[in-house]
Amino acid sequence: MTMFHHSLLVLMVIVLAFSAGKKFSLTTELSMLAGALAGLAAHMILPKGADPRSPLLLAEAVRHLVEGTFTYFDVCLIFLTATFFMALYKEAGGVAFIVRKIVRTFHSRRFVCLLLLVLVMLAPGAITGSGATAVLTVGSLVGSVLLAMGVEEDRRTALIFLLAAMSAACPPINLWAMMAAAGANMPYVGFAAPLAVLSISGALFSAFWLAGKGKPVDLEKALSDLPEVPEGWNWYRAGFPFLLLAALVGAGRIIPHGFPVLGLPLIFMICALSVLLISPVRPPVFRVATDTVHNLQGLVGIMVVVGALIQIMTLSGVRGLLSLAVVTLPLTVLFFSLWLILPISEGMLQYAVAPLFGVPLIMLFNMKGLDPVISLAAWSVMWPLGDCLPPTAVVGRATVMELGYTGDYFRGFVRTSLVPMAAILLLCSLFMVYSSELSGVIGG
Amino acid sequence: MTIRTAKAVILLIAGGCAAVAGLLFKEHREYREAVVVSPYITEVKKLSDYSDSVKDSVNDANVYIFDSGVPGGTAVLIGGTHPEEPVANMSAQIFTENVKPLQGKVIVINRINRSASLGTRMGEAYPRFYHVKTPWGTKKWRYGDRVASPLDSWPDPEVYIHYPSGQNLAYMDIRNANRTWPGRPDGLLAERTCFAAMELIRKEKADVVMDFHEAELEYAVENTIVVHEKGQPVAAMASMMLTSQSFDVPIGMEFSPKALHGLSHREIGDHSHAVSYLAEVAEPMLDRIRGITDEELLMSGKDRFVMKAGEHKLLYAPIDENGWPAHKRTARHVTTMMTILQVHNMLTPDKAIILDGIPSYGDLMDNGMGQYFADPDASPAERVFFD
Repeated sequence: MTMFHHSLLVLMVIVLAFSAGKKFSLTTELSMLAGALAGLAAHMILPKGADPRSPLLLAEAVRHLVEGTFTYFDVCLIFLTATFFMALYKEAGGVAFIVRKIVRTFHSRRFVCLLLLVLVMLAPGAITGSGATAVLTVGSLVGSVLLAMGVEEDRRTALIFLLAAMSAACPPINLWAMMAAAGANMPYVGFAAPLAVLSISGALFSAFWLAGKGKPVDLEKALSDLPEVPEGWNWYRAGFPFLLLAALVGAGRIIPHGFPVLGLPLIFMICALSVLLISPVRPPVFRVATDTVHNLQGLVGIMVVVGALIQIMTLSGVRGLLSLAVVTLPLTVLFFSLWLILPISEGMLQYAVAPLFGVPLIMLFNMKGLDPVISLAAWSVMWPLGDCLPPTAVVGRATVMELGYTGDYFRGFVRTSLVPMAAILLLCSLFMVYSSELSGVIGG
Repeated sequence: MTIRTAKAVILLIAGGCAAVAGLLFKEHREYREAVVVSPYITEVKKLSDYSDSVKDSVNDANVYIFDSGVPGGTAVLIGGTHPEEPVANMSAQIFTENVKPLQGKVIVINRINRSASLGTRMGEAYPRFYHVKTPWGTKKWRYGDRVASPLDSWPDPEVYIHYPSGQNLAYMDIRNANRTWPGRPDGLLAERTCFAAMELIRKEKADVVMDFHEAELEYAVENTIVVHEKGQPVAAMASMMLTSQSFDVPIGMEFSPKALHGLSHREIGDHSHAVSYLAEVAEPMLDRIRGITDEELLMSGKDRFVMKAGEHKLLYAPIDENGWPAHKRTARHVTTMMTILQVHNMLTPDKAIILDGIPSYGDLMDNGMGQYFADPDASPAERVFFD
């Protein structure tokens, strides 16, 4: 047995264990944990090929499992704190106030209203690089406005997800591009224009495709469907937490060497505290905190288990096998398959996919004379589209959770997203294929 | 079994796993690497002797100074910038344990980003330690991460804006000691570390600075000397001499890109009068396409998946079934440094740095590394230090 056979067998064991877990109605995260444990056992038991290998003691195997669970610890903290902030704001009545105001002001101007909503959704992800943060901070607010505009549930959920994905891809911060560029020792320079063109086009197309048409809003009915706003709310109170958020994040950009590094978790907690200070009513902090943790259990659980699974895949050579399989494909095949490979791999591995596939692909494209900046920008817009795909489906799950979606995840929400997704993937593929020609035009 | 009992059992198992892993993490973080300095040591300082920016921090590294007493130049050797590149600190330590300066001064830091060596890289499935066989037993080092541990430097900003250029870099690079040069005294840990090292370079009036690294074979900057434009003649001649006289796989020479900030080869040259060099050698363990991840791969440099990528012409360095063993990688770094000094001495004789006691390429290839590391238990206590 060679190392290729070993890694292939471990991969099969992982897939089988995951499938068995799902068959026995285990949750996705527990099925993935079963896959990781079975893969680890298979790696320890199966022959590893002709070359000598270091022994793997049981304690070290346990260490790998535990170490992997911390891979996305910072992302989990961001999810928890951002959701707590928005849940507190919602509970205090801030969301209801803003939604009512937007509906009242823009109910007869659908075009302007949609443009505003695109802007509101793009901003948090563009600043933080996280689609989940966009959904968790403003997703429910924008979803409420879309509801008032008469956008039906599947389309509403699909649009929030697609806008969140495009917000994560939107410059200045695109974590996939930054991580891959860092791995390839490229400066994160020249990405803004191609990323902006791709992500903003994608966001606008999604918005007008999914919510451009609709009946005129029946103002009285829409307002009567929305929750009442507690006495005392006004624009100053409603705007303050978001202004504070923008100020704290912006200060780190504008005076990076004169302002302390707070980190997003602390920034969100400070904003949550500001909600308590400005709210005319006292929201139930402890209940909101426990509800937040309870609601995010699945999302955080999956990030924890994905980390462990990736560590086991790396340990056993499965990660290398998958990566090798991608980069050894002929270039023409890559052109016709990356639109599928990249979102699927994002669904499997999250941000880890950027150094895993991004770095070898940069090297490959550079070697073949294609422009690595434009190409990486195109991949970095394709990747977040996979955030609604299993096993992780982080942004998709967050969207469904935030909007209280009641339909079928795949046949409803994901299917509705397919046309805008295909349009974005096609545009990105064209950018990738014609990257050399485009580099002169948009400064890659 | 009731659901309560099942939950209790699962909790116990999870707690047991956490306890086992916790003990191993603790062992890794607290392991002290012994260094037996050569008998010609002049002084062992701390990085904080040059700047308070790292005082009482985990990165207050040992600074080993070997002064011949004969006027000449000063060379600074930096190891351990990226502790997932073990040959970098082993090459530095070959100098620390064997050097006899005949003219000028040599200053060695074995582990400049010590924090990054106190834990491995999450998701990469690295071993915690690596070992080298010696005539007196097995010598052990900590294997580490590319960047400082979040236990020592956290949180990261959403985007790292380099000082002073203002260039945007990935957020984790604020913990990367080869993206934070020239540093700043009130920055985060890696920035403070690089600032202190810059102060050392400036105060010791260093003429030559070498930063040892390793790179994946998929990476274009491979088996090469990256040099600040000030060092072009020396690096070009050194690369020609090494390729024609010593190495089976050629070593190249590249200029430090002016647009890429934070790297030692760019910023040290720009912010001091020293000429900055960075040496790269192939390490298959760093390739994302590698197969099984273990200490064997780290030390032997043999990997069938990486070889397969080579067959598809996806690599910038050759690899066959002999791999890239650690002693060969170390031999290349040590010999590269000695050849750079040789050329430097020819071109600037008034700043000559002449070193003796360092094993040649042939010595290291024939004997391995082990015999150039002394037994700390059998050495005089005043010569044993811990990194």
